[in-house]
Amino acid sequence: MSTLLTIVIFLPLAGALLSAFLPAGEPGQHRAIALTVSLITFFLSLGLWFGFDASPAAAEFQFETKVPWIASLGIGFHIGLDGVALLLLMLTTALTPLVVLSTWNAVQDRVKEFMIALLVLEMAMIGTFSALDLILFYVFWEALLIPMYLLIGVWGSANRIYATVKFFVYTFAASVLMLIAIIYVFFQAGGTFDYVAVRQSLNVGATAQSWLFLAFAVAFAVKVPMFPLHTWLPDAHTEAPTAGSVLLAAVLLKMGTFGFFRYAMPLFPEAALQWRGVIAVLAVIGIIYGALMSFVQTDMKRLVAYSSVSHLGFVMLGLMAITAEGLTGGVYQMLNHGVSTGALFLLVGMLYERRHTRLIVEYGGLAKRVPALAFTFVVVTLSSIGLPGTNGFVGEFLILSGTWLGRIGHAQPLAFVATIGVILGAVYMLWLVEKLFFGPLTKDENRTMPDMSWREIAIMAPLLVLIVVMGLFPQPFLTPAKPAVDRLVGRFEQADARLRAADPSRQPSVGTVQPAFAVLRPVAAPPPAETHNGTH
Amino acid sequence: MLWAIILLPLAGAALNGAVGRRLGKANVALIAIALMVGSFVLSLIAFAWAAKGVNLHFPGDTWFRIEGPDGRALVAIRWGLLVDRLSGTLALVITGVGSLIHVYSASYMEHEDDFGYARFFTYLNLFVAAMLTLVLGDSMVLTFVGWEGVGLCSYLLIGFWYKDPPKAYAGRKAFVTNRIGDFGFLIGVFAILSIFGTSEYGRVASIVNGASPASLIEGGAFAGWTLGAALTFATIGLFVGCCGKSAQIPLYVWLPDAMAGPTPVSALIHAATMVTAGVYLVARTSFLFALAPASMAIVTFVGALTAVVSAAIAFAQTDIKKVLAYSTVSQLGFMFIGVGSGAYFAGVLHLVTHAFFKACLFLGAGSVMHGMGDDTDIRNMGGLAKKMPDTAKTFGIATLAITGIVPLSGFFSKDAILAGALFSHNSWWPNVGKVAYVMGTLAAAGTAFYMVRVYALTFAGKPRTAAAEHAHESSPVMTVPLWILAILSIVALVLGLPAFPALGHWGEVFAHFTHPVFAQAIETLGIEEHVALWPFLVAWAVAVVFGGLSWAMYVGGLRGFPARFTTTFPGLARFTEDKFRVDELYDVMVLRPFRGLAYTLWRVIDRFIIEGIFVNGIPRTIAWISGVFRYFQNGDLQRYAAVIAAAAAVLLWTLMAGGLGR
Repeated sequence: MSTLLTIVIFLPLAGALLSAFLPAGEPGQHRAIALTVSLITFFLSLGLWFGFDASPAAAEFQFETKVPWIASLGIGFHIGLDGVALLLLMLTTALTPLVVLSTWNAVQDRVKEFMIALLVLEMAMIGTFSALDLILFYVFWEALLIPMYLLIGVWGSANRIYATVKFFVYTFAASVLMLIAIIYVFFQAGGTFDYVAVRQSLNVGATAQSWLFLAFAVAFAVKVPMFPLHTWLPDAHTEAPTAGSVLLAAVLLKMGTFGFFRYAMPLFPEAALQWRGVIAVLAVIGIIYGALMSFVQTDMKRLVAYSSVSHLGFVMLGLMAITAEGLTGGVYQMLNHGVSTGALFLLVGMLYERRHTRLIVEYGGLAKRVPALAFTFVVVTLSSIGLPGTNGFVGEFLILSGTWLGRIGHAQPLAFVATIGVILGAVYMLWLVEKLFFGPLTKDENRTMPDMSWREIAIMAPLLVLIVVMGLFPQPFLTPAKPAVDRLVGRFEQADARLRAADPSRQPSVGTVQPAFAVLRPVAAPPPAETHNGTH
Repeated sequence: MLWAIILLPLAGAALNGAVGRRLGKANVALIAIALMVGSFVLSLIAFAWAAKGVNLHFPGDTWFRIEGPDGRALVAIRWGLLVDRLSGTLALVITGVGSLIHVYSASYMEHEDDFGYARFFTYLNLFVAAMLTLVLGDSMVLTFVGWEGVGLCSYLLIGFWYKDPPKAYAGRKAFVTNRIGDFGFLIGVFAILSIFGTSEYGRVASIVNGASPASLIEGGAFAGWTLGAALTFATIGLFVGCCGKSAQIPLYVWLPDAMAGPTPVSALIHAATMVTAGVYLVARTSFLFALAPASMAIVTFVGALTAVVSAAIAFAQTDIKKVLAYSTVSQLGFMFIGVGSGAYFAGVLHLVTHAFFKACLFLGAGSVMHGMGDDTDIRNMGGLAKKMPDTAKTFGIATLAITGIVPLSGFFSKDAILAGALFSHNSWWPNVGKVAYVMGTLAAAGTAFYMVRVYALTFAGKPRTAAAEHAHESSPVMTVPLWILAILSIVALVLGLPAFPALGHWGEVFAHFTHPVFAQAIETLGIEEHVALWPFLVAWAVAVVFGGLSWAMYVGGLRGFPARFTTTFPGLARFTEDKFRVDELYDVMVLRPFRGLAYTLWRVIDRFIIEGIFVNGIPRTIAWISGVFRYFQNGDLQRYAAVIAAAAAVLLWTLMAGGLGR
């Protein structure tokens, strides 16, 4: 089955090539190709989903393919999936057909080029998650910038050039740091770029590790984006066409968090332990700060963009907790954010398509006019604010409880402040719902607004189903992540043990704490030597 | 299958939500009511088991579960349900009163179009499902699911007429205020998880049984704390959640505004069931609160303060629903005095009786609004007793019940609370029980006064407007539920009879009934039986005196007095009418600073520092520097030559000057 993953990666590229040879004058043809190809890709990826073995004994990376590529430089075409990459890959392949559908009427200009860009983008996203070679990863990572750059720069709205240049420079500048770090790693790991080999044989001193971690971390933090590196996001989101915003929010941001999970943390665990406090604080600041920013926006796309800063702060906090719950919750929240913020951007795009404005004041009182759209919007909002029964709750609960029970310094204050984000989320999202859908219908332009078409219902229905299913039955989505999470926790436990061997006064800093009752000392205790009951 | 109790109303919501608008109103109402009654019957069966002493515990499937690498379950949440005598009683109240209110709504909401009608019953059924989840859930996490679920339904139903901006705003205000409480709830749950490793009530209770609050926690989240301190932290977190949901100071402000919703909603959600969830939670976790005397004192005091403050606000309200809303806040305060001072059965009993008479009062108010063409101002009413005899009689009975006139249910439950508080001992604040007794008695006096005032202004005297002149009685679909609730608020008295020897085994029958639930807490607290007659006499006298005074002032001989009071103390009267201006205070203290902070951060940090200085500043600086260089590198050969010549001259001059100088 090892060719299946290769096919899934390059099928979209083949579709793009096919489109490239067909005349541009038949837009319908290109839409059909993009839809068909992305659907086939999705169905093939289901084979990966069902073929994945999540038992602890199974191989870490499955569906592996490893062939030399540029052998003289130690670069190989090495791909494979662990559970986390699989989940994100599924998110990508599931969303792309919906995104293609969403552009059916919205994009009328240069349809051929648009669809080609979308398919190339899909290939690069899948490739990024599948790569197991540092250079291959870097190539996919950067290849992604080109179609995204074009999507925003060509099909974006008024201020698109500024936004797209900013997006490009921001991410590219940070990625170059990562490239330098990758090359340094190459020499320190005995001349290979292979991820698995590098992870095993990398041997650098503490200072070098710290710098390498930071180089990777900055590249990923820009992509997440973490406060204070987030300001490209609102511009990019606002100016991008709907399809661009959806994929940007749903998948591209996850590449940053995925990068932490796959590269920055396991390759440099000691440095990650050293820096996690700073990153966790920035994550919590991002949660609160992003929510506050959302609250004062007048442009609904900007509002949703800032809400992403807040939500991704939760993900980063979960990752930095380095507990099984926190990491699993972080991974789950990546999916949730992909589904619910992707859905939000789709809905905002539908409103935009009808009225060609993103200003919140231009709407109001729509619920009576477009009940289906309003209903969908409210459900997605509930998912976004983490109401129990929707997917958002499971993720937030795991992250927050995982942080609270973590051994990171100041775990409880971090979790405490982050939980305030739960209140703030409701503040700005319900405010948005109220301003868009409730109150009297005042604008004449909105009086003739049509409700959702069957095509739009077809786009939103799978997402609504996912929101509920992932909220009520999360286990099938949590299970694949378990082996990867356990391995990461294990790596950190080893690193922690090494650090504690060097510094005996150091407290354990990884994993979940014991419940208090397991370590409770009764009041009238006999001498301490006898009460030690081995629960530590 | 305990889940059927919850799934029936949920199915009703799903069905009516999906196709309700095409079924026609009659079918929508039939579906909603039938499934409610089905749920009621099932609850009755479950309750019967619990009454026999068999607790029904359905462990449920895993919802989500995270294991550590070593296989220890770090988080394991199951869909488990528990019917014991506490949750069984509540389930009966929810489905029973809920069914009556569903019936009533079938007529009350007739004026809606088909879509609105279906939407209403969808939300109402959904609410009942969420409320049952809250009560029947066997762990704090599952209770939290229902907790947020009812919050959502409350939001949707308060903003049911969303085209009216204040109503939509009231819904959002309710949700956000509740979320502040939910924040506390979540923190409490995390704390519980880090103390016990589970949030399942039964397991937590058995783990904590017999533990000493002075034990020292040696590791983990509360390393270095005593168990009592950690539990105090956790229970205060939970109680913040209760303050939000049960509208206690300082989070009560959403409930009066919640009256923007349709009146059956006010009766069901904002009086009988949802707002009592906080009381339920404290009762459910009584064994934890019992180990945290500071938390119990806080619960008691906040309850007492809320009871007396909101009773005072209720004095001057002129909107019939607003009076009832503040009255609800006040009565919830009483319940918290009960569960905070260890009189658990009394707090829960008051919850039950309050559900009967307050639902009756709200539905009566709804009936009055129907008769008056949706006018809610009691100054425009008067003399309605003749026009709407059934409504007036039932409202009167409920008024007597809430006032605490002797043979009605409110008397026994309220006075059991006050007596319980008076004789309670709190090791952290020894006198909190007595303080609460005094404040509670004051609040009871206020209750008697404003409730009689409402009844008098609405039903007694002569009609004051044309609308009141032409008011008509509502249909039997509405009055029959009123009568059932009124009768219930009489007969529920048997549950609360005091433990006098003369009454035999009927004395404190509800206390004995619920004893198994609260045994652990009562044992921890070391509460002894205490029977005294005089608190009951005091309470009865207070009710009669202040009720009579009110009657005299609004119907009888002292009729000029309220007007004279207003003219003598205009400031105080206005201040009370304006609800002590708490909303305005919050606006200045919380909302504006919050908005201002957000806006300032956006302009200063995002726009100016990050964007202005770094993101655009660096490129601009580079552009400026390169601009300077560009000035020189412009490809103009003559200028290059001139620069070279000038530079050469300077160089030469320096060298020569140096050379000459030497």
